[in-house]
Amino acid sequence: MSDITKKPRFTHGTIERNAFILLVLALIAISIGGIVEIIPLFTIETTVEHVKGVRPYAPLELVGRNIYVREGCYLCHSQQIRSLRDEVERYGHFSLAAESMYDHPFQWGSKRIGPDLARVGGKYSNDWHYQHLQNPQALVPESLMPRYAFLATRPIQIDNIADHLRTNVIVGVPYTSEDIAHAQDDLLAQATPGADVTGLMQRYPKANLVPGNGRTPTELDALIAYLQVLGTMVDFADPSTENLQQ
Amino acid sequence: MSDAVLHGATLPARLPRVDYNEAVVRKFMIAAMFWAVVAFCVGCYLAAEMSWPAFNLGYEFTNFGRLRPVHTSAAIFAFGGSMLFGTAMYVVQRTCRARLFGGSALADFIFWGYQFFIVMAALSYVMGFSKSREYAEPEWHLDLWLTLIWVLFAVVFIGTLIKRAEPHIYVANWFYLAFILTVAVLHLGNNLTVPVSFWGAKSYALFSGTQDAMIQWWYGHNAVGFFLTAGFLGMMYYFIPKAANRPVYSYRLSIFHFWSLIFLYIWAGPHHLEYTALPDWTQTLGMAFSIMLWMPSWGGMINGLMTLSGAWDKLRTDPGLRFSVTAVGFYGMSTFEGPVMSIRPVNALSHYTDWGIGHVHSGSLGWVAFISFGALYYLIPVLWGRERMYSVKLISWHYWIATLGIVFYITSMWVAGIMEGLMWRAYDSQGFLQYSFIESIAAVHPFLVIRLVGGLCFLTGALLMAFNMIMTIIGPRPALNAMPQAAFVAGE
Amino acid sequence: MKTETANTVVGICMIPLGLLGLLIASRALDAEMSVFGYGLILFAALFGFSLIKDHYDRLEAAPARMPGADHE
Repeated sequence: MSDITKKPRFTHGTIERNAFILLVLALIAISIGGIVEIIPLFTIETTVEHVKGVRPYAPLELVGRNIYVREGCYLCHSQQIRSLRDEVERYGHFSLAAESMYDHPFQWGSKRIGPDLARVGGKYSNDWHYQHLQNPQALVPESLMPRYAFLATRPIQIDNIADHLRTNVIVGVPYTSEDIAHAQDDLLAQATPGADVTGLMQRYPKANLVPGNGRTPTELDALIAYLQVLGTMVDFADPSTENLQQ
Repeated sequence: MSDAVLHGATLPARLPRVDYNEAVVRKFMIAAMFWAVVAFCVGCYLAAEMSWPAFNLGYEFTNFGRLRPVHTSAAIFAFGGSMLFGTAMYVVQRTCRARLFGGSALADFIFWGYQFFIVMAALSYVMGFSKSREYAEPEWHLDLWLTLIWVLFAVVFIGTLIKRAEPHIYVANWFYLAFILTVAVLHLGNNLTVPVSFWGAKSYALFSGTQDAMIQWWYGHNAVGFFLTAGFLGMMYYFIPKAANRPVYSYRLSIFHFWSLIFLYIWAGPHHLEYTALPDWTQTLGMAFSIMLWMPSWGGMINGLMTLSGAWDKLRTDPGLRFSVTAVGFYGMSTFEGPVMSIRPVNALSHYTDWGIGHVHSGSLGWVAFISFGALYYLIPVLWGRERMYSVKLISWHYWIATLGIVFYITSMWVAGIMEGLMWRAYDSQGFLQYSFIESIAAVHPFLVIRLVGGLCFLTGALLMAFNMIMTIIGPRPALNAMPQAAFVAGE
Repeated sequence: MKTETANTVVGICMIPLGLLGLLIASRALDAEMSVFGYGLILFAALFGFSLIKDHYDRLEAAPARMPGADHE
């Protein structure tokens, strides 16, 4: 031990003898990578190029999205079409950063036990989704998906929808005060047959009307409203959209 | 040379006895064993659900989506976390020759507070509350609670380091310190959410889309890097030298291993997001650093394995040590597989498939669980004052049945994953995609069943271990015999 | 004694913790929050009692205490 204490210069032994130096140096070592990779994503503007058509979720879609999160759908379904030939042919145009810019949190997923859902909106009818979610094996015998019949019997909570929109505003989703004022009406209109939906369609273009049952919308209605809007907001036939892609 | 201290050669023969707090370590070890069995049971149940979806039962509480975080949290945080807390508290006391800082009540509060977190988190997943951030699913209120526990744990650990009676901080403690520090940073960075109401559990993530994905995988990959790697390397650097009765192979290699590992690991997150909407430069950085990470990982593996040079015969007589050494082997294997999978063309094939699941389990079963089992088989007799485990033969049985389980698990997942990747990109002679998605699911069914068999083997092994542990603890206590042990790590 | 003081501080902290649980449980908007609130109350109460028990156990064991042994 004596020969180390004689050494005046800074060696690794110095670090080993001082918990504070070890702590600070370790903190520096682990900070650099994260800083370099994360901070520029917020400052470089091309990270998320705004694309025409991308809008915040309609209230019913937002409720549906929360059910998607709650049930852990992201554990088996990705929402991110990679820029690979087969994926684009199977699922549609590869996902753009802008398409998930209002997703708090993101739902890109990491494993496919079921197909990608980034562009599932409009691929199947509402009826198909109602049947499939309640009993997937009836429509796809080999499917590994659990049954979600219980969603059909549970009414959604409607009185706090404005709070949900307000919280989204805090995290950066541009809901207007008008959106918030009409949140409950929009929520009900999207799942009520024969309701006046002009306001809803103006605020949330391409919102998919679900049939509902005439009473309070169920969790199944909300989930299907969400699934049906996935990937439909951007119009890829529009040439101005093509120009935006790198 | 400073490694002389590390190897304990200059320590005086008789040191004053320190009254270590081992009660809290014993509690953590019991909890780790309990949660291991829970995690493996839930894992097997999920494997059954994926083999035969009827096992989902149609109840919201038993569906795959809600049970999956119960499995991952039980394995990583409950089992792995209890091992890390317990061994960190054991190792830091022994290698610093100081009683745990902060008193017994604080240590007990950390233990019970952490168990409370685990139980609450599992309940919340099943009830349908999840932030949907992989390996960080608990909602904001539980995140705050975990933050409290973590800070107290850091205070106790660092406090013990500061009041140490040893001049040097032993290498295992560097790794434990990096683990505590980094997981704190990751936890705070990844879990920034805004609750809808202070009195409700639902919250919305502060960031969205691309940035959110990057932050989540910065967290997610370093949960692997610092929770499941750095922390368990701390375990390796203490328990392998102790069990083998040999000093760590190379002091310089451990310095290199430590600094390069903690510096490089942080960068590797974006390899989870290749070919996605994340900017290319970030993806490329993630891939490049993942490949560089291979170097320190294998440096660490060599350091662990070579520690046994001259003591390889112990593998025949000490099946507990066999666990630790096999764990280091699996560490080397999965830290080779990881960089390969991060290379873009390989990732194009492997991502989203079962190959990823197999890779995770070669790390978690082969490395994390095995190094934990090795540490437990060493610690149980020491902590409860027994000469050895109740049955050494059962340890051997556990070893072989668990190894067989891992082989079943990872080989079936390799085959299933590569099969899925190839089927998804297969074209027929006319240039159309050859298979529908569901055909790939039907094709891998046999391998999902083999995976379940592998999981059941692993669970059986853990049950043998639990039995062995209980019998050791309730068994008779030998008369205090003065067996002096040679000290090969600082401080003892 | 120094460690006894530290233990007492931890014990006293159980009071605000239990009260926080009470507050959360009484105002909870969803099942998760009320479970968490009740859980906190239970946790604080049980942990507080266990500290008191440990304290008296130590006092009782003190004369017969062997150096180095700190089993429950």
